Amino acid sequence: MPVKWVLHWQPNAGTTVNSQILTEVSQCVEGINGVKEGRWKATLTFYRPMLREQANMAEFPRDFLGISLPEQPNKYYFVIRGQRLVLEADLTIQTIMERLQSYKARVALNFEGFQYQLGDFQLRVGKVVPNHAESLRGILMEVEYLPISSWDKSHQIMEEFFDIWQEALSKRSLPGHFVHIEPSFGEFGLSEQYTSQHTAIQYASIVAQMIATAQSAQSDVTRSLILPICLMEPSVTIQFASLIDGNLAC
Amino acid sequence: MVGKRLGDNYRIFIMECVVQGIVETQHVEALEILLQGLCGVHRERLRIHEMCLKSGPNLGLVASEVRLLCDLEQPEPAWTVKHVGGAMRGAGAEQISVLVRTMVESKASKNVLRVFYALGYKLDHELLRVGFAFHFQRGAQITITVSSVNKMLKLHATDEAVPVTPGIQLVEVTAPASSENYTEVVAAMSSFCEYLAPLLHLSKPGVSTGVVPTAAAAAASLMSDGGGVVPTAAAAAASLMSDGGGTTL
Repeated sequence: MPVKWVLHWQPNAGTTVNSQILTEVSQCVEGINGVKEGRWKATLTFYRPMLREQANMAEFPRDFLGISLPEQPNKYYFVIRGQRLVLEADLTIQTIMERLQSYKARVALNFEGFQYQLGDFQLRVGKVVPNHAESLRGILMEVEYLPISSWDKSHQIMEEFFDIWQEALSKRSLPGHFVHIEPSFGEFGLSEQYTSQHTAIQYASIVAQMIATAQSAQSDVTRSLILPICLMEPSVTIQFASLIDGNLAC
Repeated sequence: MVGKRLGDNYRIFIMECVVQGIVETQHVEALEILLQGLCGVHRERLRIHEMCLKSGPNLGLVASEVRLLCDLEQPEPAWTVKHVGGAMRGAGAEQISVLVRTMVESKASKNVLRVFYALGYKLDHELLRVGFAFHFQRGAQITITVSSVNKMLKLHATDEAVPVTPGIQLVEVTAPASSENYTEVVAAMSSFCEYLAPLLHLSKPGVSTGVVPTAAAAAASLMSDGGGVVPTAAAAAASLMSDGGGTTL
């Protein structure tokens, strides 16, 4: 399948993401002759272990994610980033997880927006919002180059496109920029031939980065309040759940 | 498979109807001839490495169990995650000769065992099933497997597996169902199982009925050149075809 870079918006220090930025990014895509095609949506769910004794939380993965992607509507992906594991399964794996009653789907993030065609590129720009809420938590962009499925061979053209895109966007003087994180797919046992498992890993990496950014931004303001509590219960999932709920407490 | 869309997620409720029996290995060839005639399809070879995992002591509000099946007959081993739930209960369930239970399956990529280990599941036991299967549509999507169940002497050493019950093979008849159609599926399965009665008796899993006394004579009849091997199988198949497999017991 075609290679894809998944980018996320990194706000400048002291600024936050807002819907105006999303609007301008979308206008910029249209400004470079991107043809709007339709909507797209991906979903990422945080799973948390259901334990009989909470004291043993450290034995279980805290970064267990479930991801559904529009490019594979009949598949579901699990990623445990800390252990470099990615799994592709049928949608029914969600039902199996529910019946096992060992992990609970805690919070979910939706990635949704519009798809554009631009020559051999397919672009998707979307917002990151918590499930059952409208509050904007981030902006994400997929850049897919249709003729090539080799990650290595596509690198040069993807970088060139990324540079052009950054330049086009810079004219709007927005308070931030898009960032591309390149995970080590080999560590996950994947080859350089692109698959949807590569996409799932990119989404997981972006969310980890968003958590880190959100934590960093909060700690600048409330370091003295939050840090002691975080040290007592250093669960990333719980912290992020609080962050996307808009609370400050860990 | 019955799917219902609820909100953003698919919720798929799946049940299966199942009966099991045993047959002596010496009669398997006769059973295969009979099944070939009844099903009208060719058999498929079966070589499944089955791993049963259980949740670790602290994981989950209740203990849970999941099975990972690796199909070794495929060019690349193909993995399936299978969860078998509780059997249907009540007076109605007791009256029928087929077990109806919840069952959900999902295909998975090759590192599924590592993922479940990472989630806190432990290997409880593993088996290797070797034999053959027939898949056909007759009032329901029926699958019959005839296999020897083998245990591994070393972890995952499928090449060194030895039979758990030498000389005996397991016969399992299953069909997917939903809460809406399981009575029709039960009827179709029961009707089909009748034709196997001279060779083996099929019952709910866990209800041991042993080998049937008529098996040797039925097998001899099926295997003999002039004794009506083909007529028996063909007649049974013809009978099934004529009533569509919907005859109830």
